[in-house]
Amino acid sequence: MGTSKVETLTVPDPELLNPHDAIIKITRTAICGSDLHLYDGFIPTMEAGDVLGHEFMGIVEEVGAGVDNLKRGDRVVVPFTIACGSCGFCKKKLWSACDNTNPNAHLMEAAYGYSGSGLFGYSHMMGGYAGGQAQYVRVPFANVGPLKIESDLPDEKVLFLSDIFPTGYMAAENAQIKEGDTVAVWGCGPVGQFAIASAFMLGAARVIAIDRVPERLEMARSIGAITVDYSEEDVSVLQALKDLTGGIGPDSCIDAVGLEAHSSELQGLYDVVKTALLMETDRPAVLRQAIQAVRKGGTLSIPGVYGGLLDKVPFGAAFGKGITMKMGQTNMHNYMKPLLERIEKGQIDPSYIISHRITLDEAPEMYKIWRDKKEQVTKIVIDPWAEKAA
Amino acid sequence: MSTALQEKPNAEELPVSSAASVLLNGRYLPPPADKDGKIWVRTTALIQGDAKKLYEMWHDIENAPAWQEQIVEVRRTGPKTSHWVMSSGGEKDDKNIEWDSEILADEPGTRIAWRSIGGDTENAGEVIFEAAPAGRGTFVTVLQEFRMGKLASAWETMVGRNPKQAVIENLRHFKALAETGEIPRTEPQPHGDRGTIGGMKKSLYGEKIATPPGTNS
Repeated sequence: MGTSKVETLTVPDPELLNPHDAIIKITRTAICGSDLHLYDGFIPTMEAGDVLGHEFMGIVEEVGAGVDNLKRGDRVVVPFTIACGSCGFCKKKLWSACDNTNPNAHLMEAAYGYSGSGLFGYSHMMGGYAGGQAQYVRVPFANVGPLKIESDLPDEKVLFLSDIFPTGYMAAENAQIKEGDTVAVWGCGPVGQFAIASAFMLGAARVIAIDRVPERLEMARSIGAITVDYSEEDVSVLQALKDLTGGIGPDSCIDAVGLEAHSSELQGLYDVVKTALLMETDRPAVLRQAIQAVRKGGTLSIPGVYGGLLDKVPFGAAFGKGITMKMGQTNMHNYMKPLLERIEKGQIDPSYIISHRITLDEAPEMYKIWRDKKEQVTKIVIDPWAEKAA
Repeated sequence: MSTALQEKPNAEELPVSSAASVLLNGRYLPPPADKDGKIWVRTTALIQGDAKKLYEMWHDIENAPAWQEQIVEVRRTGPKTSHWVMSSGGEKDDKNIEWDSEILADEPGTRIAWRSIGGDTENAGEVIFEAAPAGRGTFVTVLQEFRMGKLASAWETMVGRNPKQAVIENLRHFKALAETGEIPRTEPQPHGDRGTIGGMKKSLYGEKIATPPGTNS
């Protein structure tokens, strides 16, 4: 845990292990903000030698005997959550709660009470599956998850159907937006961007975006959001949200930051100290602020990842205002097809968030740049077959 | 040489007084506590599928190696008896644990109870199949009892699986196989160097135990 070391290595190619497996030759893959939680050691049971990556797409190379909907040569986007399609949770369309895809379910049961679905490249607790920042990947339940792309849309326009576009969309859906609502979004990284865009699609009249990175705030304004830079002197986010809503607060708040929140307030230091002393595992500064900010009877939607124990969460405020909280890993399979249709109709081009296009060899260095928010990085896409530029 | 269990702990009538049952006359029944060298484990799973089919799948004991960890062979030896072979993790046959088992109760679609009748281990168990409310599937509940001995120590020392956890994992494999036709697995898959503590972690995560083959040949 916490060694922050990523390397590009040559390992054997994956093989079919189960009847519903497919092997995908990856054509484009990406680094996700949530990969940084792994990089920084916030997610337990990530081990030396694990292959990272859960946002990828490619060409079907080989399918198992039980896969009858895909064939060699099909172009697919793969959801980051693995779902069997047959258990009680999949039947309820709670795909990320699938019962049958985590071989290490007992680890998650010990930590969380029950196990969610397996995820690609996201720790042994979440299944220990090799990820897709690679040239090839094994995809279990390929009869259920992968979305076929039959149009000639370029990879970059559909790649983000693998995680962050559906994740941002589900965040907006979970925010229970009604026509004319004001929605506040913390974090203008990729998920925050798609949450903003989706909030407008679902009827929000105003979206207020909160971040400190100038290019991300600029990007949020470019799709219609009002921005608040919390790092500016004299800016109080809570006051700003009151000022922008006639004193009642946003109807919905979206925490697209999660467990590694930064804060300009004293509590930011408090969380750094407590996590360093292992008295707390997550830094919930945004969660605290969003609970405080949301209007009476409003909704808090949390697509940002949390992993463990949180300290000083103002639950009394949540109760006192009667708010609703909705959260969790994305039920990917509900959103991929409808969102592909929106892309095909030209309603959105998700590639607008891409800032860097790199090779696999350049990935280790980019992890560091992404973590440190340098070089105006907003989203990194990897072509795993490209040669490193001289 | 070990001796067979003298009592029949799981052979009572269903449904209300079943030893595996979670409910008795509307009250929750906790599982039996470990004592006198007996280890008990009760585990339950909600499985999509009807009780009759799940009962039949369980009853097909010669197919148990498809979903039970480390069971390498089950052979029927009579109408109610069978011979079981479990690998204790080694390559050689002499590391196998073998025992005979007899069925004590067999109620189609509802319940199966069994016990060992000689061999390297003493164990007894019961599985019950009950329809969940509102057509939501079948509750499958397993109660397994065994003595510390070769069986338990094989699980614990050879592969690092807590013996109670092995029973829980076997029901999980049964559910996955019944619902999807396969058992989720990650071995073997590509990875980088695991480093010096990699083996220890693998054991801790239960990744040293071979996942049963499911429908793979």
